[in-house]
Amino acid sequence: MSQTIAPAPSISRTLIQPFIVAVRDVFHKMAKVEITCEKPHLKEGNHTSYEVCGIIGFSGHVSGSVVVSFSDQAALKLVEAFVGEKIDRNTPDFADAIGELANMIAGGAKQHLGGSASISVPNVVIGKGYQIANMSQVPCLVIPCKSPHGDFAIEVCIKQR
Amino acid sequence: MELNPNDIFQLAATIWEATLGIQIEAVSSQPPSSKRRSTAACIQITGAWNGAILLDTPDSVARRAASAMFNTDASKVQVTDLQDAVAELVNMVGGNVKALLPETCYLSLPAVVEGGDYSTRVPGSQVLTRVFFSSEGESVTISIVEKVKPQTAAA
Repeated sequence: MSQTIAPAPSISRTLIQPFIVAVRDVFHKMAKVEITCEKPHLKEGNHTSYEVCGIIGFSGHVSGSVVVSFSDQAALKLVEAFVGEKIDRNTPDFADAIGELANMIAGGAKQHLGGSASISVPNVVIGKGYQIANMSQVPCLVIPCKSPHGDFAIEVCIKQR
Repeated sequence: MELNPNDIFQLAATIWEATLGIQIEAVSSQPPSSKRRSTAACIQITGAWNGAILLDTPDSVARRAASAMFNTDASKVQVTDLQDAVAELVNMVGGNVKALLPETCYLSLPAVVEGGDYSTRVPGSQVLTRVFFSSEGESVTISIVEKVKPQTAAA
């Protein structure tokens, strides 16, 4: 079953749809969790959607960054489903698992984006009330995602060269 | 791979002096953690060596840096200016560290975070070198982390 969502105006569908496909594939295959993506919207302000974030940089024919942002509760439960055991939020293993999820989502999207896109190693940020810098003059689109374990979002801030 | 902390301090001192006109002082140990607002930037290095450089500055230092870099009154500096200034600083540190690494290495674009209560981590890495210094009395940290090679099973 495919899920096609019309993105907000001024954002290319070809840059967004790969992330919707990838996030559903990754969680279905790796965690046996079904994800529903809602209509993307333009990000307002600079604060992240949730507290636990994995950041991946893109370079090549698309450049910018993508943030996979989980609520605390969703992160704990989804990591548990992914790894197969509970992991404490304050351990390096938890950050590693978040980084790996972000890496797989970005990697999956990269395949669908085609061309010569490269992705960076992930960087994981955990906390409250922080903001992550985005490329200036590039609109950031938020793809809200729902899972049985809680909500998360993919913040896509990339442009095609 | 080894990186001498004194070399990292010296290149930071050169960057601070040349870019911001500030002389920094070495600090021997990590200051007690506080809930101050800070701006942190991370730049990844890939190629012949794989790792990352993390620069963690209090917002007051980032504000001073942005004011000097963009020739703006410190009171008029925006959060995005703090982020741009610290991104530029970590980019300069990264460029200098890259020169100490085996050829050929590549730098990523910096990822920058600003806030009052957060921690950052590069998954699958370990700290290679950490340098603490004081910039006008405020503590700044540069951490260089190296990707841990996956363990291979014994035959």
